[in-house]
Amino acid sequence: MQKIISAIVADIGKVLLGKEHQVKLALACLLARGHLLIEDLPGMGKTTLAHALAQVLGLSYNRVQFTSDMLPADILGVSIFERDSGQFRFHEGPVFSQLLLADEINRSSPKTQSALLEAMEERQVSIDGETRQLPEPFFVIATQNPLQQSGTFVLPESQLDRFLMRISLGYPTREAERALFQGVDPRVQLAQLKPRINIEGLKKLQSLVRQVKASDSLLDYLERLVQHSRQSPECAVGLSPRGALALLHAARAWALIHGRGHLLPEDLQAVLPSVAGHRLQSDGVDGSQLVERMVHQVDIIAA
Amino acid sequence: MNAANSQLRTLLPRESLLWIFAAQLAVLLPQFAHLPLWLVGAWCLAVYWRLEVFRGRREMPGRLVKSIAVLLAIAGLALTYRRWFALEPMVALLAVSFTLKNIELVSRRDALLSLMLAYFLAATLFVFEQTIPYALYGILCTVIITAALAAQQGRASARPQRALSMSAKLLAQAVPVMVLLFVVMPRLGPLWAVPQNGASATTGISDSMSPGEFSQLSKSAKPALRIAFDGAVPPPEQRYWRGLVYTHFDGRRWSEPGVSDGFSHWSRGRSRLQRGAESEEQPLPAVGPRYRYRVIQEATHSPWLFAMARPNSKTRGVRETPDDTLVYKMPVANRLAYEVRSWPRESISGQDELTSWERRRNLQLPPAGNPHARQWAEKQIARGLQPEQISGELLDLFHQGFTYTLRPPVLGADSVDEFLFGTRQGFCEHFASSYVFTMRAAGVPARVVAGYQGGEWVEQEEYLLVRQYDAHAWAEIWLTERGWVRVDPTAAVSPERIRDGLQSAAADEFMEDSLLPLHKIGFVSRLRLQWDMINYRWYQTVVSFDSERQQGVLQRLLGEISPLRLAVFMAAPIILALVVLLIWLNISSRGPRLPAASRQYLRFCRRMARAGLARNPGETPGEFAHRVARELPRLGPMAAHITAAYEKAAYAGDPAAEKQLRRLVRSFWPMRIIR
Repeated sequence: MQKIISAIVADIGKVLLGKEHQVKLALACLLARGHLLIEDLPGMGKTTLAHALAQVLGLSYNRVQFTSDMLPADILGVSIFERDSGQFRFHEGPVFSQLLLADEINRSSPKTQSALLEAMEERQVSIDGETRQLPEPFFVIATQNPLQQSGTFVLPESQLDRFLMRISLGYPTREAERALFQGVDPRVQLAQLKPRINIEGLKKLQSLVRQVKASDSLLDYLERLVQHSRQSPECAVGLSPRGALALLHAARAWALIHGRGHLLPEDLQAVLPSVAGHRLQSDGVDGSQLVERMVHQVDIIAA
Repeated sequence: MNAANSQLRTLLPRESLLWIFAAQLAVLLPQFAHLPLWLVGAWCLAVYWRLEVFRGRREMPGRLVKSIAVLLAIAGLALTYRRWFALEPMVALLAVSFTLKNIELVSRRDALLSLMLAYFLAATLFVFEQTIPYALYGILCTVIITAALAAQQGRASARPQRALSMSAKLLAQAVPVMVLLFVVMPRLGPLWAVPQNGASATTGISDSMSPGEFSQLSKSAKPALRIAFDGAVPPPEQRYWRGLVYTHFDGRRWSEPGVSDGFSHWSRGRSRLQRGAESEEQPLPAVGPRYRYRVIQEATHSPWLFAMARPNSKTRGVRETPDDTLVYKMPVANRLAYEVRSWPRESISGQDELTSWERRRNLQLPPAGNPHARQWAEKQIARGLQPEQISGELLDLFHQGFTYTLRPPVLGADSVDEFLFGTRQGFCEHFASSYVFTMRAAGVPARVVAGYQGGEWVEQEEYLLVRQYDAHAWAEIWLTERGWVRVDPTAAVSPERIRDGLQSAAADEFMEDSLLPLHKIGFVSRLRLQWDMINYRWYQTVVSFDSERQQGVLQRLLGEISPLRLAVFMAAPIILALVVLLIWLNISSRGPRLPAASRQYLRFCRRMARAGLARNPGETPGEFAHRVARELPRLGPMAAHITAAYEKAAYAGDPAAEKQLRRLVRSFWPMRIIR
C-alpha cells in the first residue's frame, strides 16, 4: 500500500513540481472522503493538480467552469423529451463523475452553488422527484480566486464548512520553476500519467484511513486544540464538532500517507491549517494566522 | 451653567440612581416608625426632584434652594424634638442629611458617599431594636446597599440579579471576618452617652395599681421575663417575682410615691440612708439556701426589676431597695440581663425592727371610706386576735364564696367594702388590695406587692418564660417575730392560679378578647415557645455578648489574653484559609491526571530544560528531538530513543514501549552528558 501511495505522490509531483506538501494534503483530503477547495491565483496549477489526481487515481473526471449565468441544471443534468422514444430521458450533468473540478465556484449564483454543495454533502442528486446516486467515489475539487472579488458570490461559512480542506498552492520555488522551464511540458506529462490504483484499491485505502489508531493522549491534544479555538478571545467562532471530526479524519489520512498506523501530534499539526483555516473566524485576522498561533500556544502533552 | 449641568447629569446613569434610591428606601423603611412624618415627605420630595433632574425637566437646585432646605430641615428637627442630645434627634439628623444629599447627588463620589451613609444609618436601626427580625432586616439592608455599590460599576453589573448575587457573594466571603471580629474586636464603651427618649409608653407593671389594671395585662401573652437558674430551682409556689411595693392607698389607687417621677432622684433614697447602717450590720449570709439565676427582662421603660425576695445583684447599675426589690439606674429601654442571688426570707434569721417611719408608711389609710371593712377589722381586734389570726380569719372569709374571675364587676367609691361584702368577684388586685386595707385597719403593717408569679418552662427547663399575663399582685404583712411575710390572698380563693398559672385558673375567660384563640391550639403554643426559645438563645449568644463575656470566651480559647496571642488567634485562621485556598487552586488547576507515558516524557522535558533546551508548548516530540539533535548533538541519539519510545507508548498504545521509556528516562541525565 505504502508503495502505491508514494508512487501516486511521485507521479503527481512530476506534473506539479515542488508542491509535494500540497499534493499530499489533496490526497489526504480525498482519502478522508472530503472535498477540497483550492484558493489561489490563476495559473498556479489548480487545474493541473485536479487533473493529475484524476489520472493517477483512475477516476472519471469532469470540469465545470462556473459563470454567473449558470443554472443548477447545467451541473446536475436535465430531463429532455425524446421524440424517438416518446419519453423523457435524463441527461446527466457534469456532476455525475468521480472527480469534479468546479472551477471558480464563487463566480456562479448562490442558487447554483448550493445545488452543487448539496450534491457534495448528500452524494446524491434529486431531480424531477427522482433521487439519483452519484458515482462512488465522488470528489469535488473547487477552486476560487481570492482576488478580483467583484462580481463574485462569496461562499458563506456554512458552505465553506462542506469542504474538508482549503489549500492554496502558492508560487513554486526557484528550483522547481527552473525544472519546469527545463523539463517536458507538464501537459504532455499529464497525458502520459497512468492510473496507479483502481476503484477497489482506493476504497481499500479509504477504509484503512478509518483504522488509523488515535490514542487517548492524542485525542486529549485534539480536545485542547478545539477548546482553545472556542475559548480564545482571538477567535470569534470556534471549531464546530464537525470541524473537529474533519480534523481527526484528515489527520488519519495524513498519517496513512506517511505510513503510520497511529496518529502523532505532527499529523494534526500538518493538516490543521488546511482543515481549520477556513472554519475559524475572527475580526480582521486570517484564519490561517489564527491556526498558526494556536499551534504554538496549545501544549501537546499537558494542559 | 446649563451646559455644565447637563454634563453633570450624565455622570450618574439611571441604574445607578435607582439603586441608590432602593438602598435608601430599604434603610429608611424601618426608621420611618421613629422618624417624624415630615421627614418621610422630605425624602420623597428629594428623590422626586433628583429624578426630575435626571429626566432633564429641572435643574439641580442652586445654592439658595439648598440653604433653604437645610434651614427648613434643621428648624423641623428643632421643632419636632426640642432637644438635641438624645438618640432620636441624632438619628433623625443623620436621616435628614442622608435625605438632603439626594439633591446634590451629582458624581460617582456623591453616590458612594450616600451609600456609605446608608451603611451607617442601617446600623442605627440596632439602637432601637435588637431582635432577630431586625437583625435579618439589617442583613437584607447590607445586601441591598452592597449591591447598590456594585451596581455603580456600570451597565452590566447594575442588572438586579447580577448586582445582588455579587453582593451576596461578597458578604458571604466577609462572614468569617465578621465572626472573627465579633469575637475578638474590643468592645469599647460609648464615647458619650445619649439618653434615649423616655417618653415611649411603659409596658408591664406600672407605678400604681387601680382596679382593672391587671386584667389588662392578663390579655397580653408577650414575654416579660426569661429566667435561667444556675443550680437549685425554687418550687412553683415560691416563684414570686417581686417588682414593686405599693404602700400608699388613696381609696382607689395603690401607688408608691416618688417611684414614677424619674430615675435620677429616687425618693426612697432617704429611707435607704436610714437603713444603711443596719444593712451593714446584717449582711446577707454567705452560705445557705439561695437561688442563683439570670433574668433577661424585656424593655419596660421603667426602672424596676424583678426578683425573688431577698435579692442581691452584682450586675452593674442594679441596686437593692429597702423594700427588698431591685431597681436599675435608669428606665429599662432595651432588653436587660442581670444576675440575681436570692435568699428566701425564712433563711435569714433575726429581722430588724420596723422604724416608726416605716410603720407609719405601712399603716397609712385614707381618712375615710370603706366603713364596713374597718368595722370588720375592729371586731377582730376586739376579739383579741393576733395579727396572724386576723389574717387567717380574713383568708377564711375569702375562702367562703369568693370567686376568681378576669371580668369582675365594676366597683364604686368604697371599692373594698363593695368587694368584700357585695360583689365578691375579683382578680388578684382586688384580693390583694382589700386584704392589705383590712389588715392595716386592724393595725397590722401591710403592703401590696406587684410583680409576676409563676412562669412556663421552655425546652427541658432551660429557662422559665414569664409572660405579661403572669402579672400578679399579692400582699406582705409585718409580723414582729418574723418580719415581712408574704400572704397571697388569691391562693385562698383559687389555689390553681398559683400552682398552674392563670390559664388553668380562668380557662374560659383566659385571653378571651384575642382575635384568634391561638393559645388553645397546642401546636401553635409549642411553636410560640420554640420561637421564644430562639429569641432567648439569640439574646444570650449575640446581643448580650459584652466585653465581659468576650473576655470569658477569649480566656477559654486562648488561656491568657495577651496581644501576641490575640494576634496569633486572628492571623491563624486567615493564614489557614489562604493556605487551603492555595492548595485548592493548585489542585483544581491541575486538571485530570496525565497518563504515565506523558509524565515520563515531561520528566525528560524538564531535564532538557535544565540542560538549557526547553520544549515549546506547541512543539511536537518529533520536532523537539530534531531540535535537540541539532543544538545538542551529544544528546541527539538519546533524545531520539526517548521520543520514539514515547510516541510508541503514548500514541501507538504499546505497553512495552512505556516500560522502555521509563527505563530510558530514568537513566537520562543530560547535565552529566553535556559536562
